[in-house]
Amino acid sequence: MFVCLCTGVTSQRVTELVANGASTSKQIADACGAGADCGRCRRTVRAIIAASNKQDCPVHATR
Amino acid sequence: MSEHRVHSLILAADFSVDDVESMWSSISAREVHLAGMAAHHVVVYRSIWEPGRVLVTIGIRHPNSIRDVLRSPAIFELFDNAGVHDIPAIFAGEVVEKIDLYETTPDDAVSRVIVGVVTLVQDVATLMDKVHGAADRFKQAGVRKIWVYRAFDDGHEVMVLHDIEDEIRARRWIDHPDASAEWMSLGGESEQARCEQDASLGAYPTVFVGTLAHLMTVAERVN
Repeated sequence: MFVCLCTGVTSQRVTELVANGASTSKQIADACGAGADCGRCRRTVRAIIAASNKQDCPVHATR
Repeated sequence: MSEHRVHSLILAADFSVDDVESMWSSISAREVHLAGMAAHHVVVYRSIWEPGRVLVTIGIRHPNSIRDVLRSPAIFELFDNAGVHDIPAIFAGEVVEKIDLYETTPDDAVSRVIVGVVTLVQDVATLMDKVHGAADRFKQAGVRKIWVYRAFDDGHEVMVLHDIEDEIRARRWIDHPDASAEWMSLGGESEQARCEQDASLGAYPTVFVGTLAHLMTVAERVN
């Protein structure tokens, strides 16, 4: 899925950044530009971060 | 992002609006803008379970690059005019196959219930083999058509649209999908189930269940 229309950043790229330690939408914007321009994709970026956190959680990871 | 050279493209976005008819009025009033980005069809499906939720697909002819299409003013206008500030993740891909499980009839112009899923799968070719192998079971479950699209940005990402006989069978398909419908177990989670489990799918929307609300054929612009 394309997350940021301004830069063409994909969900795959954002997920990779989160896996490598990014934990805020600002860190994602700094790393790849997603959300740095119009900012209208930040909610999706935050959803990807939240989903990743859920997967890291021992309770959710077993699902 | 890499530049993808493609022959045809489908964009799909799943989001919520205050007024579906108002959104459609603004889309249809901007046919010239859509023609400017080489769109050939715009389809709006309206959720039957979640008021205001829509799935919008736009078919685009011969785009030079996906990046240019995504950045085009017409795409931003679509969300602006729908009153949508937070732009959802957008699926961008191509048709893998459109499978009609029944003989085409005049009634097919009116689709029944559409179940849409965007998710990751192991392998698209294997998936298609499984779909063909299970076609009879799919028919028995009330599935009339299956359209499978593959994302350009991720070879494991697919969008699957099912045309299902009625809402009861659609619900049954979601709750108890065929074992070959790998995409349903990976992505087929309803909004209600997501809330109950407090689980997020990240960029991916939950399963969409709706009906065809509007369809527009966009005339090709002649320069």
